[in-house]
Amino acid sequence: MPEALVNLTIDGVPVSVPKGMLVIEAAKQAGVLVPHYCYHPGLPVAGVCRMCLVDIEKAPKLQIACATQVAEGMVVHTQSPQAKKGRMGVLELLLINHPLDCPICDQAGECELQDFTFQEGRPATRYSPEYAKRFNPVEDFGPDVLYVPNRCILCTRCVRFMEDVAKEPVLNVSERGDRAFIGIHPDARLDHPWSGNVVDLCPVGSLLSKDFLHKARAWELDKSASICTGCSQGCNVTLDTRENVVVRVRPRPNLEVNRYFICDHGRMNYRWMNRGDRIEAPLVRRGGELHATDWDEACEHVATLLRGAGGKAVALVSPKASTEALFLARELFAGLDWTGAFQVVMGEEATLTGVPNLALRAERAPNGRGAELLGYSRDYAAALAAAEAAAVVLVLDEPDVSVRTAGVLIYAGTVLSERARDAEVILPIANVAEEDGTFVNRDGRVQCYFQAKPAPGMARPAWWVLSELIAVLGRGERLASASDAFDRLAGSAEAFRGFSYRQLGFAGRPAAAAAMVPA
Amino acid sequence: MSGDAYPAAPSGIEEYQPVFTGAALEQLQEVFTRYPTKQAALLPALWMVQRARGWISDRNMAEAAEVLGLTPAYVKGVVTFYTMYHQHPVGRHFVQVCTTSPCNVCGAEAVVQALLEATGAKELGATSPDGKWTVTEVECLGACGFATPVLVDDDFLESVTPEKVPELVKRYT
Amino acid sequence: MGYPHKPHSRETVVLSKYFGEADARSYKGWVKRGGYEMLRHALSMEPAKVIDIVKESGLRGRGGAGFPTGLKWSFMPKEKKKPHYLCVNADESEPGTFKDREIMRWTPHALLEGAAIAAHAIQAEVAYIYIRGEFTEPWSVMEKALSEADAAGVFGTIKIHLHRGAGAYICGEETALMNSIEGKRGNPRIKPPFPAAAGVFGMPTTINNVETLAAVPHILKNGAAWYKGLSLASPKSTGTKLFSVCGHVQRPGNYEVTMGFPLKDLLYDLCGGMRPGHTLKACIPGGSSVPILNRDETESCLLDYEGVVEKGSMLGSGGVIVFDDSTDMVYQIMRLARFYAHESCAQCTQCREGTAWTTKILERILAGQGKTADLDLLLDLSDNMTGKTICVLSDSCAAPVVSGIKRFKQEFDDYIAGRRKPVMVA
Repeated sequence: MPEALVNLTIDGVPVSVPKGMLVIEAAKQAGVLVPHYCYHPGLPVAGVCRMCLVDIEKAPKLQIACATQVAEGMVVHTQSPQAKKGRMGVLELLLINHPLDCPICDQAGECELQDFTFQEGRPATRYSPEYAKRFNPVEDFGPDVLYVPNRCILCTRCVRFMEDVAKEPVLNVSERGDRAFIGIHPDARLDHPWSGNVVDLCPVGSLLSKDFLHKARAWELDKSASICTGCSQGCNVTLDTRENVVVRVRPRPNLEVNRYFICDHGRMNYRWMNRGDRIEAPLVRRGGELHATDWDEACEHVATLLRGAGGKAVALVSPKASTEALFLARELFAGLDWTGAFQVVMGEEATLTGVPNLALRAERAPNGRGAELLGYSRDYAAALAAAEAAAVVLVLDEPDVSVRTAGVLIYAGTVLSERARDAEVILPIANVAEEDGTFVNRDGRVQCYFQAKPAPGMARPAWWVLSELIAVLGRGERLASASDAFDRLAGSAEAFRGFSYRQLGFAGRPAAAAAMVPA
Repeated sequence: MSGDAYPAAPSGIEEYQPVFTGAALEQLQEVFTRYPTKQAALLPALWMVQRARGWISDRNMAEAAEVLGLTPAYVKGVVTFYTMYHQHPVGRHFVQVCTTSPCNVCGAEAVVQALLEATGAKELGATSPDGKWTVTEVECLGACGFATPVLVDDDFLESVTPEKVPELVKRYT
Repeated sequence: MGYPHKPHSRETVVLSKYFGEADARSYKGWVKRGGYEMLRHALSMEPAKVIDIVKESGLRGRGGAGFPTGLKWSFMPKEKKKPHYLCVNADESEPGTFKDREIMRWTPHALLEGAAIAAHAIQAEVAYIYIRGEFTEPWSVMEKALSEADAAGVFGTIKIHLHRGAGAYICGEETALMNSIEGKRGNPRIKPPFPAAAGVFGMPTTINNVETLAAVPHILKNGAAWYKGLSLASPKSTGTKLFSVCGHVQRPGNYEVTMGFPLKDLLYDLCGGMRPGHTLKACIPGGSSVPILNRDETESCLLDYEGVVEKGSMLGSGGVIVFDDSTDMVYQIMRLARFYAHESCAQCTQCREGTAWTTKILERILAGQGKTADLDLLLDLSDNMTGKTICVLSDSCAAPVVSGIKRFKQEFDDYIAGRRKPVMVA
């Protein structure tokens, strides 16, 4: 049954929205962002900052857009003189005790207090400089969170997150009146596995990540949509890079996967993306020694090894590899007796209690499901056994796997290990931050991630390397992009039939249901 | 005058002692029956802590949290909201003088001064050197027609004037 | 323990009839005075019938807002699907008000009886009487009365509990009170939902003031027409009302008069007027949260909901604060602002920051460091604090400031211009 729609007008723009929607959400549909602090779509409504005051015709006084439901025929003015004065009044009051230390504040540049003050605040305060400002020392809340009370506007997002979403009320509002601050019990720590979200939720620079402390100014950061590789949940994230170094991982809202949140494990799981000890050039074995070379020669070398090979081919792949690479790592060995397998590192599960189906999953890899859908097995031991008699073995970004084979060993990876040095050919590939690609999360959702920084040296995305090899072998056209690689995959793998990057967009979509039935 | 006094609070931090054992725990169980949630027994539970220990320490907040199925931080948030819960040890006799407008115009400030002198507490919120007295100013005690009302522990005294203060203090010594 | 005065001939003693009679506090003494007859009667009636009588009587809430009591009761779901609750607001904390305290300490059973009748009318099985933490004496009186009445089994299936506050003015706000009962910080809740839909413990709840409920047995006993007839001016204000008079009058105390009684007569006749050699300067007629009246307004004001509004203030809780010509209005307004700054729950920005800033500005004016622009700033700040927050504590801070500047601007100007000796505020 279609949902009942309510018609209303916001700043002259007519909108039709579902019954029960809040005015602040309806306004977004009219292209109007009502300034707000305490409201957050992922948290219960508090209605305390009073920033989102709007004028609603026929209402006796200003209403807060975050706690008012739409009604048929409602006429909302966000820019009436009364509404603007009401909000300006709030901004002025939020700043009277604020230290105005933007030059040394990590939030500067992405601070909602700055933004809305710039947008509609007073040009100057009327709070006499003779009055002392409230002062409280910085507090260490937990492993990665600092609290700077002087910047706090008491929006209580952090308190509500811990209470209503994490279901571990470790933060409180202490004291009352203008003496109030966000408190913690001296014996407690803000160490819940999802507690880092309070830093993102904080609209000002009051809750800070120690990991990111003074690392970069917000305006120096480039942002790229990505998918967390920390586990099989597939949380949508943004990778913030500064001069091609990933410096921060933040959640990217996706109501179907992670809502507005990521866990601390995922948040901290980025340093490896910046490793300096990367393979920067293809290496081929000549006279027993590995020699650096260019891609043409490397590809030709591999083609020579593969041409005329018969019998078994084994692919030992990383479940962090893109779906595109996994697909092509099978295509490359078309005609051979192919076995593919992957292994997943396991860890402890940590659920975010207040959100259904959201957890740091025990399976610490982003694309195990994608590998399964493409025919890779979890029986790693069997694959290793098969490798012994195989004609060719491809190891895809598993530097520490110990392979014994009578055939040709090809290693495509990001870093070089002693084990990998046994290979005939070593092909440098990009990591997740350096390429476009897709992962399939544990629930079968296909999601795109995008390049955030360049790959070092001659390293190339695995899909490119594999498609190049396929082309040199004359088994297919060269692919120009990850999107093209995905199209080829979508044309032949049932689970992805009919999909394209354009369709997946930034939110992804579930793989074809029929293909999801376990084989 | 019942003089329902709190136990003497030594200077410094008291050693933690649990409150909810034996009879007190039974009493709390009875309080639980009054409400549909355990959480609702928090204010009564905190009163029990304060009555037993004279103030509510962080450890005792954690204890209350434990028996009520709450977190210590939550309990601390509640304790700090209500001004009658002591977050620090106070004198054996805790004196609250109303100084809100109606009492103020009737001379409450002079009553405060007289009490600070007579008790030896000297400063608002400070405890007298003998540990007996803590005097505080409070907002409206709800007895404005009987200015100036003074709450000494649980004794609600009306129409206190500076002249009556020395006698009043003597009654508690 | 203080004693109430002998009733003045112009008082209409209904609620205060037994004030001062220690015997009326006991269950036996109360029954001897006809107590609990109306509860028995009410329990035999259909709840809707009780509501109709109270509606018909014109009884309005005595806590401050003056909402019609019967109408409020009628908002409760008729068909009971969840537990219903009654909350009794005995958190009397409004500066200038001390009437509920008197009702509880002298006639605890009047409140218990009224509460039980109300609980029956709204089909509540449990009633919580929320008594402010500082009211140690009313608490012990109520505790004793409740245990006696419980032992006598007068409440039938209705269970009444006392709940002690712990020092927070804001818990007198109805939803803050409910949060406090639930073991939370006393933060007012955003409405809707209103208590009749989701109140304490998320269940349908009615909340009434002590004085309101104490009037209910009398209404049942003497009839709605009798109560309605108790009205000297506006027909929308009926019954008797306890006025707590404090400050600069000769005989402060609680006075029970019929609605519409002249404020002037209350102050000069019943309360004995100003202290010798002093004249009236200002009066806050309904507890500290309502606008201040000047002498002319005070002396021409009729004490009912409409009469006080006509003079630019509100009847509020009926706490009458009297200031004579010795009063420093700026200082008293600062004291009131400081009260609200102390009591702000910290939720809404305007209230948390605005009450404190208002206090600072007033303190600076008193210290002789004020500027002319400070008065405009105070008025504008007050405007930003009015009608924009979850509850009205912020508005209550603005009311004395705005009305004070309007009516006593000269005193502010004197401090600012240095014509008055600065006062250093602690």
